[in-house]
Amino acid sequence: MDLSVVGSQLLVGLSRAMILFIVSAGLSFVLGVLRVPNIFHGSLYMIGAFSAFSIATWLGGQSTGLWLAMLAAPVVAVAIGMIVERALLAHLYRREHLMLILFTWGVMLILNDLVKLAWGPTYRSIMPPAALQGSASLLGIALPRYNLFLLLIGPLVAVGLWLFTQRTRIGKIARAAAVDQEMVAILGINVSRVLAVAFLVGCYLAGLGGALVAPTTSITLGMDHSIIVDAFLIVTIGGLGNIWGALVGALVFGVTQSLGLLVWPQFAVVFPYLTVVIVLLLRPRGLLRSVW
Amino acid sequence: MKRMKGLALMVLVVGLSVAFAAQAPATTLGTAPTSLLAQAPRLERNIKVGIVDTYSGPAAVFGTDALNGFKLALAEINKEGVLGAKIDFVTRDERFSPEIGLSMARELILQEKVDVVVGTINSATALAISSYVKDQKVPFVVWISKSEKITGAKGHRYVFSTGENTAMAGRAIAEAMARRPYVKYWLAADDYEYGHEITNSFWKFMKRAKPEVTLAGQTWWRPGEPDLVPYLTAIMGAKPDVVFFGTGGASMANVLKAVKTTGMSERIPAAIHTAIDHAVLKPLGVGAPEGVVGTIDYLWYYPDTPANRAFAKAFQDAYGGPPGFPAFHGYNTAYFIAQAFKKARSLEREKFIDALEGLSINTPVGQVEMRACDHQAVLPLFLGVTKRTPQYDFLVATSITTLRGEEVMPSCDDIKKARGQ
Repeated sequence: MDLSVVGSQLLVGLSRAMILFIVSAGLSFVLGVLRVPNIFHGSLYMIGAFSAFSIATWLGGQSTGLWLAMLAAPVVAVAIGMIVERALLAHLYRREHLMLILFTWGVMLILNDLVKLAWGPTYRSIMPPAALQGSASLLGIALPRYNLFLLLIGPLVAVGLWLFTQRTRIGKIARAAAVDQEMVAILGINVSRVLAVAFLVGCYLAGLGGALVAPTTSITLGMDHSIIVDAFLIVTIGGLGNIWGALVGALVFGVTQSLGLLVWPQFAVVFPYLTVVIVLLLRPRGLLRSVW
Repeated sequence: MKRMKGLALMVLVVGLSVAFAAQAPATTLGTAPTSLLAQAPRLERNIKVGIVDTYSGPAAVFGTDALNGFKLALAEINKEGVLGAKIDFVTRDERFSPEIGLSMARELILQEKVDVVVGTINSATALAISSYVKDQKVPFVVWISKSEKITGAKGHRYVFSTGENTAMAGRAIAEAMARRPYVKYWLAADDYEYGHEITNSFWKFMKRAKPEVTLAGQTWWRPGEPDLVPYLTAIMGAKPDVVFFGTGGASMANVLKAVKTTGMSERIPAAIHTAIDHAVLKPLGVGAPEGVVGTIDYLWYYPDTPANRAFAKAFQDAYGGPPGFPAFHGYNTAYFIAQAFKKARSLEREKFIDALEGLSINTPVGQVEMRACDHQAVLPLFLGVTKRTPQYDFLVATSITTLRGEEVMPSCDDIKKARGQ
């Protein structure tokens, strides 16, 4: 087999992993800090994608519009997520997990129908900005430019998240709240506000994932389902609530899929899931330390 | 007393109409003079059609399009009426699940007591409902799903198809590809009923039409797989002459997008059934790849005949966009049902089926017959290549050629063989 084919397959897998990482990191962060398994995280991802389409179309569909859409679309997801959080979720944090799963599941169904009302059943599509169209050559490997762009964005998001959790006051409090909410409250900190900010970050990452995936795929109803299943698997193999675990999990997931395609294309679908099973058999609590 | 009077009147009316009907010459009612229509038997109640289809999730776009076509036809049909009655309908959302679809068909038949069941986009659902209506002896008209088993191996007296199927499409696209110089094929498809059937059918006819073709490899992904770029880069690495994609619906848009973004469209040609579907090409805009060979059984801009123009315009006015192939099927389905009841002159299911067998109707693309031997509509298929033209901001099919239904359908003998008769 051609080495450049393996190389390009690896890079494509890594770039796919970046979107998975961004979405899973948001899910994992909310899971870690708020202890909420947020099923409607996928809906926010879908809303991010649909919003990117609408904003880009509204701005004329040219390159500038597309760039602005990528910046603005996650904000729409954040706005919707925050309405749900402040109005409903904030009152339910102390409930048991089953209750929270049912609640977020219900919100997912509602958001699904709202998306259908707002955008209708037809699928939508946007192009990448002109600068990112076509393919580029990297060390003799041809790769779609947009995938190269994703390879840059992923690490940027990772660094940004690291700075947020390690270097900002609110990030530090959020980490503390993940370990012991009561202790944080005793110190006179408004925990509800911290939790809201943490949730906001989660929503932003879901929306960003959706906006970033929009140019690569058709934007349809149901895209929330496929992502949420993968994201939960990634969070589980990475270690619940651990953002770096989400990164490792996403890389494992994306790369096994793309390289599996070279080995056994008929059954490539099963490779990522097979990997999940193997990881969980060997390390039931995930690859990295779970905060749970 | 009043009730007795009413009853007597009804008996009189029914008796008279039967007497007139017996005298009426055996012409098709559509062309009969109005004086004869007035004397035709009247149906004792409205015809009730139960529709099971997908109205949520990615496939909703097809279910909705078919329903719109059906509603457009009903508006025309009900203006005149069917033997004094109208066609009513109820819909159920199967959410692309055979289990849900089957239980909804059951509910429509047992609770709603519909005369005819219609559906669905999902081939697996269509097959499940088909085997159920066979026991219940209720006619079932399949209008979008394309599995050749529906009117082929698993066909029976109670199931009809008003859309083209994988046997027809696979053969049409194989014969077109056989005329091109490619030898080394790669097959890539959605891993579900339709994906397998269209791909198998294509490959079967491809080997028959051009025995020297070779299979370089095959790829299967789960339906709705969001990112197909890694799949396509892997295929490009294997350097086949051409790729056949067995995909449809939202996956189709993903395939076309990935074909463009990976640069595959400039290096390796692709052939896909329904790739030239307007419902696929419109949302992609100029982001769709050029040069993809596709087949389809309906295009709103071809053939450019008065009938097709009128249908496309009426649909556009009613629903704000041109009709896709499901709308065409939905429209024809309504006319097949209406004409069959007119011909049957009765609400009896068996008479309806007898009437529908071999029935020919006027459609936007000309006469279409419901073949009696397998209950499959004899639809023409159009073959074209995607191309960007200056007048539209989306791609259209060009160099279109038409294959008549008879040319691409399995023979009645083949059908008998497939059914093990």
